[in-house]
Amino acid sequence: MTETFLQNLINGALTGCIYALIALGLSLIFGVMNVVNFAHGDFVMLSMYLTFWIGVWAGMDAFITPLITFPALFLIGLLAYNALIDRTLRQKYVTQIAVTVGLMTFLRALAQLIWKAQPRALPYSLIQGSIQIGPYTILASRLVSAVVSVLAIAGVYLFLSRTWAGRAIRAASDDLDAASLLGIPYRQTYALAFGLGSALTAIAGGLLMTFQQVDPTMGVRFGLLSWCVLAMAGLGSIPGLLISGIIVGAAEAIGMSFWDPRARSLIVYLLFILVLWLRPRGLFGRK
Amino acid sequence: MRRSRKDINRPLLILLLGIAVLLPLVVRSNQYTLVLLTTILLYGVLATAWNIIGGLAGQLDLAAGAYLGLGAFTTGTLLIRWNVSPWLGMVLGGLVAIGFALLVGYPLFRFGVKEVWYALSSAALVEVLRVAFLIWNQVGGPVERYLPYHEWSLYHLRFATYLPFFYIMLGLLVLALLIHHWIRQSKLGYYLMALGENEEAAEVLGVNTQKCKLQALSIYAFLVGVTGGIYACMYGFIHPNFFSGPMSTEVAILGIVGGMGITYGPVMAAILLVSVREFLRANLGGQLEGLYLVVYATVLILIALFRPQGLGPLLRQAYDRLLARVAKE
Repeated sequence: MTETFLQNLINGALTGCIYALIALGLSLIFGVMNVVNFAHGDFVMLSMYLTFWIGVWAGMDAFITPLITFPALFLIGLLAYNALIDRTLRQKYVTQIAVTVGLMTFLRALAQLIWKAQPRALPYSLIQGSIQIGPYTILASRLVSAVVSVLAIAGVYLFLSRTWAGRAIRAASDDLDAASLLGIPYRQTYALAFGLGSALTAIAGGLLMTFQQVDPTMGVRFGLLSWCVLAMAGLGSIPGLLISGIIVGAAEAIGMSFWDPRARSLIVYLLFILVLWLRPRGLFGRK
Repeated sequence: MRRSRKDINRPLLILLLGIAVLLPLVVRSNQYTLVLLTTILLYGVLATAWNIIGGLAGQLDLAAGAYLGLGAFTTGTLLIRWNVSPWLGMVLGGLVAIGFALLVGYPLFRFGVKEVWYALSSAALVEVLRVAFLIWNQVGGPVERYLPYHEWSLYHLRFATYLPFFYIMLGLLVLALLIHHWIRQSKLGYYLMALGENEEAAEVLGVNTQKCKLQALSIYAFLVGVTGGIYACMYGFIHPNFFSGPMSTEVAILGIVGGMGITYGPVMAAILLVSVREFLRANLGGQLEGLYLVVYATVLILIALFRPQGLGPLLRQAYDRLLARVAKE
């Protein structure tokens, strides 16, 4: 009993690190420019499919594909920002939701058109095997995924705190008017944040493809999942995002094994609704 | 001008209703066209109901599927298990939907969940209910549960043709429009519009925003729940996938595209967009899966980008211009 519990806790927590990485991208977009992006999960789906494509055509391992998909998703993010999001900045949030829901439907339909509805998966990754610690088994691919996610999150943290562009993003998120007065160009900053937020899903997509399959409905799941992590963490705390991602991942895994395998999303969403009711600022939020 | 406008409005509405009533005669017994027309009406009802909570009160609700599913399961289960007539079942379904709406809405509004968070938590509710009914084997479960078959039974609301459902849905649409029209001109309607515009300001002026939002949510849930009951009878089965996320978002999109708060806007949007979607599906769906949705999504994005106020104001302008021309002659 305890063993199963702890085993699931470990697996869930490792997956949760990837969730945190996805939510970090969303947090950059929502926290910086206050844009409600319903299509974020579909960028994850798109990354997973691109990873699948590259894996099949070039035989590249899913752990390495972000080298290609990261810049690709960054460009797609820039394109989406300039073509769609930029025009909605001065509109009501309802218009933003309508546009991003349109984008979500578009990406999902596009995936269905290109890759058909059946799930796609890559053959096993290079990183094989598992580590045995006492009674617990840790899959190497999951462990590496979690480590890469944490490293990527740390990288974003350093980028935001150490580089000029990163500081500009933070300044724009704190106080746009003051930032503009200091000569920070808001459009470039927003575009950068949106591009980076989208590009982070490329890393997550590659990592996810090492142990699971992808289908066109995946986007909705990751979309709501990342909003859930973000709601729990609150805005402005990167360590908070990591902890929330781990909590969500662990709750998912434990619920699946102790209640019902189909209850996966049920647990996440119940958690989400509870957090919104009881602590709308999130557990670690500063806004 | 004011008088002449009112004089023209009412006969025009009656004329439109007359055309709608006679429409099935034109298509005769073509069941496909009847389903299509009934589906348009169905979305019209849902979007009009949404227009109360979304359009007037400004709460971006994405849980239409939750209330629809609850109505369908209440009606369907009562009919299958205890042979209760869907006429009673759909009202009970509406009440169950209200009960659920209050259960969820009270804490949501009490804790001040707003805007995007309200939208997301309502979207999450649909999925919560879908999975809950999938697991709950006594009532839901992964297999469709069929309603008893009847060639023509008014008591069981089961027919071998879609024709009666067309008229029932048309009646419901008229009812929904009347309710929306009536709320818009009532005290509640003004409170809702005020809080939809600026919640804090409305509160300062003494509007009990929590209570008003709950009332709007209940009316919306009831209408959608009743529609769910008819939906179940029309398709002849119930399944947890009735708690549909995409359908819920589509209802909200129709409300937004139609023009928030404008009484006839969502119906116009439903007529336009659902026909476009079905036309594309019929013509493109066969060759390439998903192509019609790509085109449909592009249309949605373009409308949202270039007509953020929705199609309603556009329609009103055209109508006013037409009236002015008629008055001149």
